Amino acid sequence: MTRIVLFFLLLCFYSVAMAQTSTDSIQRLDEVVLSDVKLQRYAKGFKVTVLNDSLIKKNRSSFTDLLRFNSTLYFKENGYGMVSSPSFRGTNASQTAVIWNGISINSQLTGQTDFNTINTTNFNSVVIRSGGGSVQYGSGAIGGSIHLNNTLDFKNHFNNTVSLSYGSYETKNVNYLSSYANEKFSVNIGLNYLDSDNDYKYLNTDERNTNGAFTNGSVNANLGYIVSDKDVLKLYHQYFVGEREFSGTVSSQSLAKYDDENFRTMLEWSRNGDKAFSKLKVAHLQEHFKYFGNKNTENYTFGKVNTYLINYTADIDLLSHLKLKPIVAYNYYQGSGSSFGNPNRKEFSTTALLQYKPNNKWEYGFNLRQDVTSGFESPLLFSFDVAYDVSKYYKLKLNGSKNYRVPTFNDLYWQQGGNLDLVPETSYQVDLGQEITYKNAKLNLNAFYINTTDLIQWQPNDTGFWSPDNVAKTQNYGIEASLDITKHINAHQFSLQSNYAYTVSEDLESKKQLIYVPYHKANINLAYSYKRMSFFFQHLFTGEVFTTTDNLSGPFSSVDAYEVSNSGVNYQLLKTNSQQIDVSLKVNNLFNTAYENVAFRPMPDRNFNFQIQYKF
Amino acid sequence: MKKIILSIFAMSLFVVSCSDDDDSITPSEPLGAYEDGIIVSGEGSFSLPSSVSFISEDLMTSENQIYFNANNETTGGYLQSIGFNDDKAYIVVQDGTIKVVNRYTFEKLATISTGLSLPRYIAFEDNTAYVSDWGDPNDTTDDYIAVIDLTSNSVISTISVSEGPEQVLEESDKLYVSHNGGFNVNNVISVINTSDYTLETITVNDVPDELFIDESGDLLVLSSGANQSWLTPPVETEAAITRIDLSDNSIISTLEFSAGQHPSLMAYEDGMAYYILNNEVYGLTDNATSLPTSSLFGTTAGYAYGLSVDDNQLFVTDAGGFAANSTLLVYDLASGTETNTFSVAVGASKIYFN
Repeated sequence: MTRIVLFFLLLCFYSVAMAQTSTDSIQRLDEVVLSDVKLQRYAKGFKVTVLNDSLIKKNRSSFTDLLRFNSTLYFKENGYGMVSSPSFRGTNASQTAVIWNGISINSQLTGQTDFNTINTTNFNSVVIRSGGGSVQYGSGAIGGSIHLNNTLDFKNHFNNTVSLSYGSYETKNVNYLSSYANEKFSVNIGLNYLDSDNDYKYLNTDERNTNGAFTNGSVNANLGYIVSDKDVLKLYHQYFVGEREFSGTVSSQSLAKYDDENFRTMLEWSRNGDKAFSKLKVAHLQEHFKYFGNKNTENYTFGKVNTYLINYTADIDLLSHLKLKPIVAYNYYQGSGSSFGNPNRKEFSTTALLQYKPNNKWEYGFNLRQDVTSGFESPLLFSFDVAYDVSKYYKLKLNGSKNYRVPTFNDLYWQQGGNLDLVPETSYQVDLGQEITYKNAKLNLNAFYINTTDLIQWQPNDTGFWSPDNVAKTQNYGIEASLDITKHINAHQFSLQSNYAYTVSEDLESKKQLIYVPYHKANINLAYSYKRMSFFFQHLFTGEVFTTTDNLSGPFSSVDAYEVSNSGVNYQLLKTNSQQIDVSLKVNNLFNTAYENVAFRPMPDRNFNFQIQYKF
Repeated sequence: MKKIILSIFAMSLFVVSCSDDDDSITPSEPLGAYEDGIIVSGEGSFSLPSSVSFISEDLMTSENQIYFNANNETTGGYLQSIGFNDDKAYIVVQDGTIKVVNRYTFEKLATISTGLSLPRYIAFEDNTAYVSDWGDPNDTTDDYIAVIDLTSNSVISTISVSEGPEQVLEESDKLYVSHNGGFNVNNVISVINTSDYTLETITVNDVPDELFIDESGDLLVLSSGANQSWLTPPVETEAAITRIDLSDNSIISTLEFSAGQHPSLMAYEDGMAYYILNNEVYGLTDNATSLPTSSLFGTTAGYAYGLSVDDNQLFVTDAGGFAANSTLLVYDLASGTETNTFSVAVGASKIYFN
């Protein structure tokens, strides 16, 4: 079992290595050793992409922007900073799971995560796992999952980073990261405050985004303590509080306001026993929102859910080539809100993950999960994956899975219309990946097929109420390509990172493309650095999306394709062994393009952001 | 979501009849592209803006998004209703604005927004308009009728009324307001004297909405009945069509529907009220003493969301799932056959005759 300790050491080493190499301003997606064991060990046949901390810091503006410019994910963002929901491989927002240090944090109310309520600066890495992951991560991991990871490093160190930035629309950001460890104890803290008037000009009109201001703060605090040679205790905590005005559309101003308050606490005890490496986690999550239809009044509606979970898992080496990871978990969800009473849900799940590596070329995974949930029946879930190293340069990955998405509290209990007869959405999928690596270049090619039945949709019913029902069947298929090249010539460093996705996501009955899924999406990131100076340029293309189900083009039924670019420059004013000062300037929407993500909700014009960062 | 759920109401009062029997008169200069024909307004949806569609009087041509085409801007979210007065149309949008347009060209002339919160319907008397407004829909005590001066296009005063004022009808210096209750349930008709704003109320069945003056000058009210199945215990009350004598505000008759029936769409022409129940069209004559037991004909609407009648033709909008254009279905009243269909605005809820 020394390998587990090794694993942690490797992890520490890696994060240090990352921190050291991050000074080259390379915007790259990289595969690294991951803190989540499931992600590290049991996803060999899956495409797993890591956005490391240097990349996160470069795209500090928002989580949405980080992923828009650095992955194939598509985002439907209701104007800058507003509700932002992802579409992963053409699936909808409630079919993309967001995982915080190994546990799902999708809202129990909406089934999705609003990506503008997550601040990424306080995380060590963001990992994108493509393809079905319900066996490992539960409800909602249909298109894929996004993982927010904090790592605790036990190597002696004390690092601090203070960043201050100021930009267009009175945007102010203060961030403080501190990390300390001795051999026994490790702590890292992240504090972030962001405030913006966000009153950008709607290009080609006389209007501004008059009701779009937001302020939010977040705290991440993580502690690790090595109790003995065998026992490690870790405490993860995240708190987010945000107040946002909800902007209207081009010709319809809004007075709405939305307050979020979320916190997540998890205590983890890991024991490196003789037979197994086991982990016990207990966690408490709370999501709480208040919606003010008119921000000038005190009237609001709210929703609140407390989640309590206990999770036990072990990593067992059955044979030297055969690893088993059983997981048992119990979740208790307790909701309350203006539009439903006080519903609760109990969920017990058992999972078994099996990994077999007969030789250095082949790796197989086979995984099963069964949930027992109060209120409805959950299907037996499975997944399998295979990875095959054809040669030093070429690797094949194949995975298939059955996944699900359970009805949300809104779907079940909303007054009026909530439907207690709903069943989970179920989905089958296969994904074939190829990975070609040659020198400093890497090419990933993936083709996928997803078939989903019993899709939950809200529609007016016979009595005139809107009510959800398991009505639709969809299929999604497409290809993804990503290319990553780095080149060093003396002190000059170049990098190119690019993604392209072609996605068909259609209703099987009407054969029409689903709304807000572009057929084409592409992005490219170029970076260059020389000594103390670094420069980057990023460009995004998003194809036309339909906004109505009849697939017509026009202002009332589609949103035009758009291209938008950002660019930035960074200079190290000071660099000593113990101190470093960086100044950077970023220009968003470099070419001042008028574009929309969502119909009649314009995105910002050209804007600037200046940052000074001090590390000590 | 609540906003969506709210909008289950239909038809307007301000029907201006077509003039297709004036063919013999020498044609005059056209007043605009939308001078003669059918105006259909669509609420839009949670994610789609509202819009207005036009269908020519001869049912030969149609055009969608006419307000956008004339002004290069949308009508915003949740277009509730349109009122017509002289040569102007007043587009009442739930986001708190009324867009004043030329009713024949749909070119915007003015916007009224100060003093409005969540406006629903508009009625006119001389140079004054009266607009029902829910105020903050979560506040049961701030509902009002906004009084608008049509010269300055500004709210000059307000009349406090009870929860959820919906349709407004002006008749002989009095305003009749149906209170469907907005987010809640109400059961009154407010009668407001426009000279001094004194107010009386008439109690009817729960959720009164559609209002018409019948051939005898009586007020016809469709109450949908409460249907709050989510409450513990559930609250469900009977729908009814109530006839009120306007001389003394007394109730002449209340024809109650069976339990579980909740009609919400009604239209009226020439002594006959038409309503839709479970996709069937029923006709109720002015002198009927009971509700009809059999329907006139059935409609093919997936989700009937608007109803109007004109010149022996019945118009029904099918809003479908609010995710694409609605369909306007045209029926010949005599035979009950569907004669035309048009693709119209998303969430089409009101049908007017220009």
